[in-house]
Amino acid sequence: MELARALAENEVEPTEKLIDIVNSCNLCGICDRQCYFITQRRPTQAQQALTDYVKTLKPNTLKHVPEDEIVKDLHVIVGNDWATNDPIIIASYLRSIIKQKSLGKFYIVMPKSTEEIAAIVKLANKHKIPYLPRGNGTFFGVALQTLLAETCSIEQGIIIDLWRMKDIHIDAENFTATVGPGVTSFELQTAAHTHKLRANVAEAESHVCANAQNLGIVTTWSNTYGWGTDNFIDAEFIDSTGTIMHLSDKDIPNPYASEQGLLSLSLIPSVIVTQLTLKLHQILDDEEAVFIPFNNLSDALDMAHNLAKRNIGISLAVLSRKYLTEFISPTHEIAEGFNYIAEKYLKLNYIVDVICDKYHKKIIEELAEVTFGHSMIKSLILGSSKLASMKDSSLLKMIGEEENPLKAVFGGPMRKHFEKGLDASPHELVKVFDEDLRDFFEKLYSKPELTDPVWLHSFRILPCRMERKHMWMYRGGYMPGDKETILKVVDALEKPAEKYHIEGAFGFLSYLERGKLAHLEYDYYYDHTDPDARKRVNKAIVESWRRQFAIKGVTPLEFICSKGLHRKEHILYPVPQGLSEEELGHFEELIETLFGGEDTW
Amino acid sequence: MVKYLSKEWAEQAKKKVLEDLDRTKDLKNMNASLLNVVQNVPPDQKTVYFYIRFVDGKLEELLASPDESIKEKNAEFTVTGDYTTFVQISSGQMSSAMALLKNRVKMSGNKMKAFTLTKPIDTFNMCIKKIETEY
Repeated sequence: MELARALAENEVEPTEKLIDIVNSCNLCGICDRQCYFITQRRPTQAQQALTDYVKTLKPNTLKHVPEDEIVKDLHVIVGNDWATNDPIIIASYLRSIIKQKSLGKFYIVMPKSTEEIAAIVKLANKHKIPYLPRGNGTFFGVALQTLLAETCSIEQGIIIDLWRMKDIHIDAENFTATVGPGVTSFELQTAAHTHKLRANVAEAESHVCANAQNLGIVTTWSNTYGWGTDNFIDAEFIDSTGTIMHLSDKDIPNPYASEQGLLSLSLIPSVIVTQLTLKLHQILDDEEAVFIPFNNLSDALDMAHNLAKRNIGISLAVLSRKYLTEFISPTHEIAEGFNYIAEKYLKLNYIVDVICDKYHKKIIEELAEVTFGHSMIKSLILGSSKLASMKDSSLLKMIGEEENPLKAVFGGPMRKHFEKGLDASPHELVKVFDEDLRDFFEKLYSKPELTDPVWLHSFRILPCRMERKHMWMYRGGYMPGDKETILKVVDALEKPAEKYHIEGAFGFLSYLERGKLAHLEYDYYYDHTDPDARKRVNKAIVESWRRQFAIKGVTPLEFICSKGLHRKEHILYPVPQGLSEEELGHFEELIETLFGGEDTW
Repeated sequence: MVKYLSKEWAEQAKKKVLEDLDRTKDLKNMNASLLNVVQNVPPDQKTVYFYIRFVDGKLEELLASPDESIKEKNAEFTVTGDYTTFVQISSGQMSSAMALLKNRVKMSGNKMKAFTLTKPIDTFNMCIKKIETEY
């Protein structure tokens, strides 16, 4: 789709490789099913447009791209099919790792082995050009739309696409999985589950090695499974000289040494992870989901922190109304309707979201006034389109007038009427889909996994739905787990969003270290195709940093980036003291040095 | 036109900074010394040391030489990187802070102090980029 856009906007001229791209697709439509589930897009339409466009081209209009010395050398390393300097191929990487309208000379290479990557790094050094590894590009895709673009990209050089390195080996006896850098979280989780084991992984589409290295793997399971090096046993990586090393090597410099503070910001990894051996966790037979609904964040944090301190729950998070409704609704329009109803009638604004065993479930049910579980979430998923259409229903108005609507719906006598009213079934749900996709999605939603909250928490196939309408920018970071600090940080993120008219929303919060620390994701949603919106989001980002740095104990997310191979003890301890006014002044200067003045963002 | 990192270039750079930059306004009365270790300098891929020392915002020393004895000056900060990166920094294509962020250079020294010096060092680099230089 990015290629179709680049051609449509005359950012790239057609070359002979375009024919290969068009011929490689038989328009079977599988992309539509995958993409529609997440983004509601139909990529086959873009592919059809490309096919039609190629038919209009005369043979002599297709440019031949000569190979230069660097491509020839790359071919020697990886074979002729896996390296190119063709602008048509490079265009596919725009905005997911290469800045749009970059003028530099780029190469794409897809190695198959660690040794090939080492040789590529040495080649880049020989030619004095930068290189950048690419997992699935999910982080870059977000950051490249903002003022951070320059800091996380290269101006020219070799993009090392790690997609081909898909080896997975499960060692059930040792509870480990060894994966190559092309393995996605979904692929690893699928392999682990065949052994009744679970990996602590990020969103389904993210590449495990890249995510571990970049963000340390941020999940709702972190209070139990941990962060950073808690997640793995060993890593194989290549340093900037092209030397292959392992974290377990005895003779390498301390790989965990790290710095904190403003000058520790680095969005480009210093090494390339080529293999990771991760810990796997046993899945209990009696795991189930317990959801505790709240109408305000303060109460939700009290409950969640209480559980975190006592180590109750394997997965534990505070989830916002925005995430709940966006994740479980099949379309953005339904999510908006659901969101409206949750806020206006149900007063359902936050959920303490727990996956736990039967013993912890009993404790939670004793602590919480009202809870719901698998059956209700299944009804909400399959009944979301019906619910979204009930904006004016008398039942919901009646619920809204209750003293405690949450209790009435999820714990009181109205519960069965509410569930019945949702008319929840795959057949009803898919009526909102394009007609040609309904049969497929009815079968898909009939699978028990699609409505099983434990499975959904493990496989994380829904979070990507958050960017169905607009681009978003991940805000937040790490902080002490106490409620006062968290509320200050939420305020520090909300204020810039309000000031610059950006839609901001609490995403989720999870804990580490029995609640001593917390990770918060708060998101800014904006239209990245609108230059004015981009300027506003950049201003909001800078102001949110400034506000976060002033709060004791807070490390904004960007300052954790590229530190996932480290121990959290070196990254998050001791908690930062918060910058003084004078230091905040220097921070402004640093921002200006790095990104220029506001007018240049 | 002077050759980058040559003795003539160093002399012109020092003169330019002393003439053009205000000790307080531009250089924030900084007290700092910095040794840049420029690796793989063409044509023979040698290492050249580029040392600067400020006292109360005044540039007291600016030296560029392959002579390792410069290391004995025990600079507060040492920045190590490839020649191509230092060309980008000295020609104003990339700030030194950006080079640090992009892992193009490695720095040793007190990071908290370095954080307070990013602006005056950037101003210094923007000043010396005006010298007509052959890279």
